[in-house]
Amino acid sequence: MVNSRNPMKDTTKTIGTPISRIDGIAKVTGKAAYSMDHPVKNSAYAILFKSTIAAGTIREIDTSTAEKAPGVLAVITHQNAPKLNVKGGLRGGALLQSPEIEFFGQNIGIVVAETFEQARYASRLIKVTYDKKEPKVDFDKLANQARLPKDKEKADANRGDAKAALSQATIKVEEVYQTPIEHHHPLEPHAAIAEWDGDKVTLYSSAQIVNGAQSAAAATLNLKPEQVRIVSPYIGGGFGSKGGQWANLALAAVAAKHVSRPVKLALTRQQMVNSVGFRQHNQQKVSLAATADGKLTALAHEITTHCAINDEFIEPCGDCSKIMYDAPNSLITYRVVPMNLILPTYTRGPGKSTGSFALESAMDELAYKLKMDPIEFRIKNEPERDPSNGKPWSSRATVQCLQEGAKAFGWEKRNLEPRQNQQGNYWIGYGVSAGTYPAHQRPTSASVKLKRTGDEVTATVELAAADLGTGTYTILTQTAADALGLSIQHVKVKIGDSDLPPAAGAVGSVGAASYANAVNDACRKITEELVAKSGKQFFAPPTAAQLMRSEKLTDYQTRVDSKAPDSAEDYSSHSFNANFAEVAVNKSTGMVRVNRFLAVTGAGQILNPKTARSQIIGGNVWGIGMALTEESVVDPRWGNFVTRSYADYHVPSNLDIGHLDAIFIREKDEHVNTLGVKGIGEVGIVAVAAAVANAVFNATGKRVRDLPITPDKVL
Amino acid sequence: MRPFTYSRATDPSSAIKMLAQNPNARFLAGGTNLLDLMKEDVERPNALIDISELGLSDIKPIAAGTNQGGISLGGLGKNTDTANHLLVRQNYPLLTQAILAGASGQLRNMATNGGNLLQRTRCPYFYEVAMPCNKREPGTGCGAKEGINRMHAIFGWSEQCVAVYPSDMAVALAALDAVVKVRNADGQERSIPIADFHRLPGDKPEQDTNLPHGELITAIELPKNRFADKSYYLKVRDRASYAFALVSVAAALEMDPSDESGKRIKAVRIAMGGVAHKPWRALKAEQLLVGKEATDANFKLAATAEMADAKPLEHNAFKVELGNRSIVLALQMAMNGGKA
Repeated sequence: MVNSRNPMKDTTKTIGTPISRIDGIAKVTGKAAYSMDHPVKNSAYAILFKSTIAAGTIREIDTSTAEKAPGVLAVITHQNAPKLNVKGGLRGGALLQSPEIEFFGQNIGIVVAETFEQARYASRLIKVTYDKKEPKVDFDKLANQARLPKDKEKADANRGDAKAALSQATIKVEEVYQTPIEHHHPLEPHAAIAEWDGDKVTLYSSAQIVNGAQSAAAATLNLKPEQVRIVSPYIGGGFGSKGGQWANLALAAVAAKHVSRPVKLALTRQQMVNSVGFRQHNQQKVSLAATADGKLTALAHEITTHCAINDEFIEPCGDCSKIMYDAPNSLITYRVVPMNLILPTYTRGPGKSTGSFALESAMDELAYKLKMDPIEFRIKNEPERDPSNGKPWSSRATVQCLQEGAKAFGWEKRNLEPRQNQQGNYWIGYGVSAGTYPAHQRPTSASVKLKRTGDEVTATVELAAADLGTGTYTILTQTAADALGLSIQHVKVKIGDSDLPPAAGAVGSVGAASYANAVNDACRKITEELVAKSGKQFFAPPTAAQLMRSEKLTDYQTRVDSKAPDSAEDYSSHSFNANFAEVAVNKSTGMVRVNRFLAVTGAGQILNPKTARSQIIGGNVWGIGMALTEESVVDPRWGNFVTRSYADYHVPSNLDIGHLDAIFIREKDEHVNTLGVKGIGEVGIVAVAAAVANAVFNATGKRVRDLPITPDKVL
Repeated sequence: MRPFTYSRATDPSSAIKMLAQNPNARFLAGGTNLLDLMKEDVERPNALIDISELGLSDIKPIAAGTNQGGISLGGLGKNTDTANHLLVRQNYPLLTQAILAGASGQLRNMATNGGNLLQRTRCPYFYEVAMPCNKREPGTGCGAKEGINRMHAIFGWSEQCVAVYPSDMAVALAALDAVVKVRNADGQERSIPIADFHRLPGDKPEQDTNLPHGELITAIELPKNRFADKSYYLKVRDRASYAFALVSVAAALEMDPSDESGKRIKAVRIAMGGVAHKPWRALKAEQLLVGKEATDANFKLAATAEMADAKPLEHNAFKVELGNRSIVLALQMAMNGGKA
């Protein structure tokens, strides 16, 4: 339908306006199909069963009773599993290829039955005996055995001589900061429906990287990518755990093949702790030195962490330290110790969220030593160019974020000295921090199909993108509507299916930039093609919608392979933020409450302020959880997680969260990509925990360097 | 889940008979704890007797008997309804606060009063069948005693078990000297004082309570008291909602009306949660406060005396100091009518 007031004008621009989520109604009415919701006929149910030791070998596995249990169709273990490619790209191993046990809760079998309950019951009838080995799971005892990483990006990074500068300095901070293991715990546990058709398999399973899931599942199953289709229209949260895929995806296909029926395989909440990775425990020593007037002279960030026994993943905790401040001498090192736990993985704001806790706490500690306002201290050390590579910033809003945030938050009311602000039985404190996350546009293809009926033109945009629940459908609808000259009601976006043109993942904050630029490029291309097809010259270029009408076309489509402009490489591109927290700490009990939190973000073009705000405050809530409540605890004797459910793993509740506010800096970045989009998925969590911890110090005078800040640490 | 039979009882006496006949049967009321435990293979009943339609949910004044003047809470009354009932809010605000401090709105809507008393520990070693646990499987050992025990007991634990009892409601009931009314298969009713209802683990940690198999909690009676103006339930926890207590304190005070200053304590009740295998009545602290003035100094003396008997484990030494502070704060809050 054309605009009734002005038939010549289909719509006004929608990019930058706060449109509600296109998929919101479907979600709140239960119509949106998540992994297990897809209607598949005659499906059986599978459950994984898992090792109860962390290191050793399965001596014997007796499945005879389980096989006879009611409804059981099959029991699959390493003894009868098909040969899979363990290097196919699924993370974390546990593919039933050998009797070796490398972590507690490793998959050691699958039970397939008519119902989920029957499968679970039968799984408890399996008897396993092991030859146990002493597990390596006590990080505190093993940290001194940490080795150099194999990952070249984690090699020691030196600039100048930080150690010498530190040893000569008189004003310095040298402290160790600890962040615990965290789990993603998305509301939707990892789940897959596998349905074979001849030698092709369809996997209905949430995937942050649709094409990545396809290629990893295919390679693992010894299939060609085109033999695997991933269907993932909606994702019930992922936070990195559904970026790389895990054994459960391939094992669903194995189970379905084995019983010659579609199979639904979902993890239980308790199984999530040792099935799909986690954020590793980081022990970070940060050393900072400054001149008396607050100019940094040295910054060293030394990280010790752990990885899996036979595979390495290290989150980049040193990344913020590489680029945030202008220190002439800098050192960033990683050491890692293999342990009998599942492979750690990307977790929201990987490295930056945890690394910034250490860096931004240390910055606060040094500012306090200097008796300087921590905002002034940060601004004083603002780098003109990227200190790690000398490139100019494509844009950098740190100073603006700090200054505008200070004004909006009422920072001037903060006392430099802690323990000055008392309200009843509470200490009140303010904290600030600054953070960053890189901005990238990754190669993505997209197609646009236009259809005209009478005067009505509709568009269908297709790409194998992912929507984590963050607004991909919405921003792509807006992008296409604006670029084609249509109202958003006339644009349909299809994503989350590997049959669609290949796209980047919704990971590492690249989704919006990669997808929106690809859709924009496809829409511009279709407009150019329609202009060329018309053979006319235009003074003011018409829209694709107008061309469909004027040229009386009924159907037209095109496709584009889009990537970042080559010139983007000449710049250092990152989103930046500043965080402000006000906490109230109970003087008697040590309970901390975040009364107010403000995040100010410079992330280039904000496509939709409403979904963007939700992204940022969602990240803030995660960060507050990191600061105050979230911790996965391993029993150092056996290597099991003792925190296995939402009752034990404390994500913040509504009552933990006070007033949240998000401000976006108006920022036009002409270098990062065509639309000037920098991405906001991760930056919302970066440095949040530090702002809260700094506020706790300002409130109480107590510096907690070991997250989470539970009441016992504040007493 | 293991296979089990499900039947719906229509009247209390047949429900109790059905239960009494089968040692592996369990009553199903709200199911908020039992069903979780069955899914985890911790509880393995072969029969569930659904008692949710038996009635027994009234909240009403007690007309006669030893607790005359008090109120009776139906054993199958929902936690939410109980917390918000006018008789409870007006006369036993401590109980309202305690119930609302527990679980989440959704759970409280399902959970019953009797079920709340019978909920089992949230010790992670109890919940994971791959771990040793004397409570779940006597003789396998206690996983927590030398393991991760930050959440565990500092009072009354044994070598066999260091678990804590998770209820908030029962801590207030302990402070209010509640009486649990139970009925057996012969139709006989008896009363169990709340202090005797739950057990310390001793060498039988598998037994949480003194309620024998084959009896039904029909009601919980609250005797009349004069604590309504001066009571407070303090819960210290790792997050503000939906978290079990690190330490909780139910405190209630009655001032001596004959004392002109109005500061002399006539009666005081203090019970603690998160510290033992049962609601922990701080009797030592109570004794030190009766007849004394309600001052911060006296509160501290009493709290320190009570906590002096604590025996913390490797990870929960903080509970001693936290318990001390929490007793003081709860008493202060109670004195102020629940305001900070």
